[in-house]
Amino acid sequence: MIAQWLFFGFATLAVLGALGLVLFRHPMNGAMCFIVTLISLAGLYALLSASLLFALQLIVYAGAIMSLILFIIMFLNIQITDLPEEKGRWTFFFGGIVLIAPIGLFLLKIVKTLPESSTTIIGDNFGGVKKVGMVLFRDWLLPFEIVSILLLVALVGAVVLAGKKEMAS
Amino acid sequence: MNCDIVPIIPLGIVGLGAVILMMLAAFEKIHLEVAAVFSMCVFALAFVMQLLPTGPSDMAPYSELFRGMLVTNGFTKVAALIILACGFFTAMSSTSYFRQNSFCTLEFYCLLIFSVWGMLLLTMARELITVFISLEIFSLCIYVLVGYNRRSATSAEAVLKYLMLGAFAGSFFTMGTALVYGAVRSTGFAAIATFIAENGFLETPALVGGVFFILFAFLFKIAAFPFHAWVIDVYDGASVPVTGFMATALKTAIFAVLVNFLSLDAGLKGAWLDILFYITVFTLFAGNLIAIGQSNLKRMLAASGIVHTGYLLIAVIAVGDNALSGNIILFYLAAYAASTLGIFASLSYLGGQDEKRCSFDDFKGLAKVRPYSAAAITVFLLSMAGIPPTAGFMGKFYIITTAFQSGQALLAVLGIVSSILSMWYYLRLIIAMYFHEANEPFEIEASPFAPICTLILAACVFAIGLYPMVI
Repeated sequence: MIAQWLFFGFATLAVLGALGLVLFRHPMNGAMCFIVTLISLAGLYALLSASLLFALQLIVYAGAIMSLILFIIMFLNIQITDLPEEKGRWTFFFGGIVLIAPIGLFLLKIVKTLPESSTTIIGDNFGGVKKVGMVLFRDWLLPFEIVSILLLVALVGAVVLAGKKEMAS
Repeated sequence: MNCDIVPIIPLGIVGLGAVILMMLAAFEKIHLEVAAVFSMCVFALAFVMQLLPTGPSDMAPYSELFRGMLVTNGFTKVAALIILACGFFTAMSSTSYFRQNSFCTLEFYCLLIFSVWGMLLLTMARELITVFISLEIFSLCIYVLVGYNRRSATSAEAVLKYLMLGAFAGSFFTMGTALVYGAVRSTGFAAIATFIAENGFLETPALVGGVFFILFAFLFKIAAFPFHAWVIDVYDGASVPVTGFMATALKTAIFAVLVNFLSLDAGLKGAWLDILFYITVFTLFAGNLIAIGQSNLKRMLAASGIVHTGYLLIAVIAVGDNALSGNIILFYLAAYAASTLGIFASLSYLGGQDEKRCSFDDFKGLAKVRPYSAAAITVFLLSMAGIPPTAGFMGKFYIITTAFQSGQALLAVLGIVSSILSMWYYLRLIIAMYFHEANEPFEIEASPFAPICTLILAACVFAIGLYPMVI
């Protein structure tokens, strides 16, 4: 029962955080809202007994990545006058809602047909480092390995787009 | 006995080549053209290795280790050949392009090879998470390649648009994968096929929703009708060789995985046939209408790319589940790739500094000054329009006859109508080249690569047309 209430609490917080991310004008407020979303997602993972994922979500996403983003925003020192004027943002906002609403209803219908499942703690070290490692390196070896290429490509791309060097042929 | 390593040798060569070139890029002494030749060698070697016989039937290399997530067969093999050839000719025409435009660095070729790697993997992937990762690998490469010219505002706009919309498509794909997993408890294609065979497709709403979102992402990437708007600006903003690469290799990879995915089960495809029918019709005519209105060549070619997506979708709808069906799609892709790459190779050669020649008017009287270039462009345009005896005609012929045979007569007729409409903008360029006086001398910095590339591709256009269905 408590798990159910916790789920609703975390889910609401996650959605509110995401809304704040989109709706706040200043990037700093947006980033702060995003942290709320990430932490509530960590709570949802914890409810699913995914302990490793819970820890990683807090340390890597809410901790490392978000503090990096906050640093960048602080470095840029954005004042309220630097922000672009957003004309007609409410028109776009409501237009977007009208467009997205059918998809949302569709998703709701789908979710209703999913079988009921309870959120109880599964024992047997489920979601621990060892279990996740076993799954990752046995069943999901290929996707796990090709992610390394994805990261390499992202790295090269970032260097290219941010670097200064221009070479004459 | 089949050797497990043979089908994935090309993947290994291309991956290794990309990593080596990435490391070489740190050295100042490596010349740009050395890198281009290196990447051409990588593609050529992988192409030859891809020709090694592996048997036509499905084969999962290292199925114990990879859990059957990779499957190769005749279809994926030919798709990979087309992609490798696209990479080869793109590298070739880029050398000429970067003689006249100076924003290139060695990482350009490195990213090109990496994106080909992602596409090769995508053709073989039989598992949704693997599909997603390989999709993102080449998408990331192409985002960067599109925005490579950082001094150009249109390029920056293109990369921003493409990145944002691509991220949307990617997130829809992940959501679809999650829903499919929720329904099937697995993301492997084989498991999904078994599940549908046992339970039926429409009986599980989560599966329907998941497939809907996955198709959404695929249709975005191939620029089918409701999601076609990005393609014009992005193709316009990218540099010419990259545009050619996007139009051909990317489309081949996505169509390969789309066909793999839809042919999982007849029920899966049957449920979407009606929707795909309307998407195809709108794709054909939206593309044509946009193309007719363009005065910029790159934008016209982008819009005509939408029309070609429409033809390929006809093939996807019309063909059955037998081996021949994949061949028709691949044949059209090969024919389309040869002519599109050819025209982009000529444009990267003739475009001049900073792509100053870009509209129909800029090519007026080209035939008087450079008859061979004009003749080559004419061959490519006729092939795209579908005039015999070019490859494009044979491709369209197969698609339309198959559509008739499978009872999709309306689609076949609409295909012919749109083909006639498309003559308008292809012939417009030919008329501009042949029936006007030249206003300028078309001075170009001489570079042997693009002309050779154009010549080979023009030969390919006829060869593919004259030796149909060798695949």
